[in-house]
Amino acid sequence: MAKYITKRILVTIPVLLGMILLIFFMLNVVPGDPVTVMMKEHLKEDVVANLRRSMHLDDPFFIRYLRYVWDAIRGDLGVSWKLSRPVTGLIATAFPYTLKLALSAALFSWIMGIPVGIVSAVRKNSLIDHLSMGLSLFGVSMPVFWVALILQNTFKGTLPVSGVQTWKGYILPTIVLGWSSAGRIARLTRSNLLEVLREDYIRTARSKGLSRLKVITRHALKNALIPVITVMAIQISSLLSGAVITESVFSIPGVGSLAVSAIKNRDMPLLQGTVIFTAVLIIAGNLVADVLYSIIDPRIRVE
Amino acid sequence: MDNILEIKNLITSFASDGRKERAIAVNGVDLAIPRGKTVGLVGESGCGKSVTSLSVTGLLAENGRVESGEALFQGRDLLRLSEKELRAIRGNDISMIFQEPMTSLNPVIPVGVQVAEAARLHEGLDKATAKARTVEIMRKVGIPEPERRYGQYPHQLSGGLRQRVMIAMGMLLKPDLLIADEPTTALDVSIEAQILRLMRDLQRENGTAILMITHNLGVVAEICDEVYVMYAGEVVERADVFTLFKSCAHPYTRGLMGALPRMTPKGQRLYNIRGTVPNLWAMPVGCRFAPRCEFAAERCHGEKPPLLDLGGGHLCRCFAPRGLEDEHHG
Repeated sequence: MAKYITKRILVTIPVLLGMILLIFFMLNVVPGDPVTVMMKEHLKEDVVANLRRSMHLDDPFFIRYLRYVWDAIRGDLGVSWKLSRPVTGLIATAFPYTLKLALSAALFSWIMGIPVGIVSAVRKNSLIDHLSMGLSLFGVSMPVFWVALILQNTFKGTLPVSGVQTWKGYILPTIVLGWSSAGRIARLTRSNLLEVLREDYIRTARSKGLSRLKVITRHALKNALIPVITVMAIQISSLLSGAVITESVFSIPGVGSLAVSAIKNRDMPLLQGTVIFTAVLIIAGNLVADVLYSIIDPRIRVE
Repeated sequence: MDNILEIKNLITSFASDGRKERAIAVNGVDLAIPRGKTVGLVGESGCGKSVTSLSVTGLLAENGRVESGEALFQGRDLLRLSEKELRAIRGNDISMIFQEPMTSLNPVIPVGVQVAEAARLHEGLDKATAKARTVEIMRKVGIPEPERRYGQYPHQLSGGLRQRVMIAMGMLLKPDLLIADEPTTALDVSIEAQILRLMRDLQRENGTAILMITHNLGVVAEICDEVYVMYAGEVVERADVFTLFKSCAHPYTRGLMGALPRMTPKGQRLYNIRGTVPNLWAMPVGCRFAPRCEFAAERCHGEKPPLLDLGGGHLCRCFAPRGLEDEHHG
């Protein structure tokens, strides 16, 4: 097991390097000179030249890339051009907000999605099935900003619609962010469970005289939930990174808001830092999903 | 005769997408299984042999429904029992073995736990006792190192071992009736012989009756005492195993016999029954086999033959039954 995990972690190293290279390259070809951004119009030729040299902007692309990677390994993602503060520190301050929002959204989507999916499968084609699948589809298909605005409008006065000064501030963003995940999980749970219930081993379980409830809980659920759990692990990382719109709409000072302000200000180090940070989270999420999968599914377990 | 199970006039139908009428998969089957004996139920795939057994145990798929009939087991009609009453019988008095041992075992539960499950459920055994009993039966069905195998998962076992696990599961509680649905079809021939021998040994030891559902006449010859041949949802012939192989009377049975590969002179072609099984929605009015029968007369196409007694319990659904020795195929 430890060997398997080590192997999976080692595999992520080239992925990380390639990913940083790609981001680094893309942000390099984007027009706009950092010095101009920083200094606005107050420029003197020699000041610009000095600044460029001190920021190593005249070095060849690959040297700059290697230097960035080397710094990043040591936790230094550069300094924000706009805010003149270390990017690592800015992300560290913002991340707890994003984490809280993502975790509560994930929790919401599991608590809603899995039971709803199970009930829908067991009571297939009933009113409750159609109703919950409709709501799920709604959550999956409606744009986040629209749902956010509707909820803000509906609950203004009862719940905070902006900022997270108290925990109540997280309620609406959690629903907005978690709804589509909940819908996806509910639909996946339902379809997996329905599929599993048609399997031969379910008939075997029934032939032993087990009750319907036991057939579902002991024999069907584990098989049906294996793919769902994988999706859940991947979803956490996408919730962590996909909160950009939700954070903006609800004015939550998380990593998403940080990225948005970086884009607005052409703050390349900050943007680069947030994008790479998010990508690392996604890679980590996939890693966790893989490991989880191998723990739950004995067929994948390596001896 | 003392029968452990008596099925009378069983009719089972299936709903099908896009059709208003239900398809009749089993059409008035009568079948009796004497206590402690092995009865074969033979026929092509889709002839209704599995549906017959699933109807009796209440395990039909969602779209299936028993329309009428009786299935007397220990004086009770299984078809009239509630789901709860049936559950008390399933896995306890009647157990089942299915065809594909890979898909019939739960891939994420250790095989030993799956075997022990019925014992814990029906006899209320605690975990340790159930495990001891499971290890014992696993050893008995010829699973080497049963203690180690107990905690293994189906994918870690070979096909033969998996089927032994299924048999251990079926035999654990010494049922009165074991329904084996093509138990050896997925196995190679040498394993098949071992499995059949094992089933016969366990049968002798526990007095279990077996309903052996198969399309393989070799299996029938190996293990069965009596045989029912089904065609298109109906029993077309019933005989004890010796009579069947010596002088089967129905043209369909004779076709099956003729289709068995034998040691024949070189160049002689293997016999095959022409045509295909009739569509469930377009059953022939008369004898259901008539369109494929080489002896069919005009009467056969318009009138349905009854199940005639040819003497000694040899039943045959044909207007003109004849012995196999009368003619030679090919």
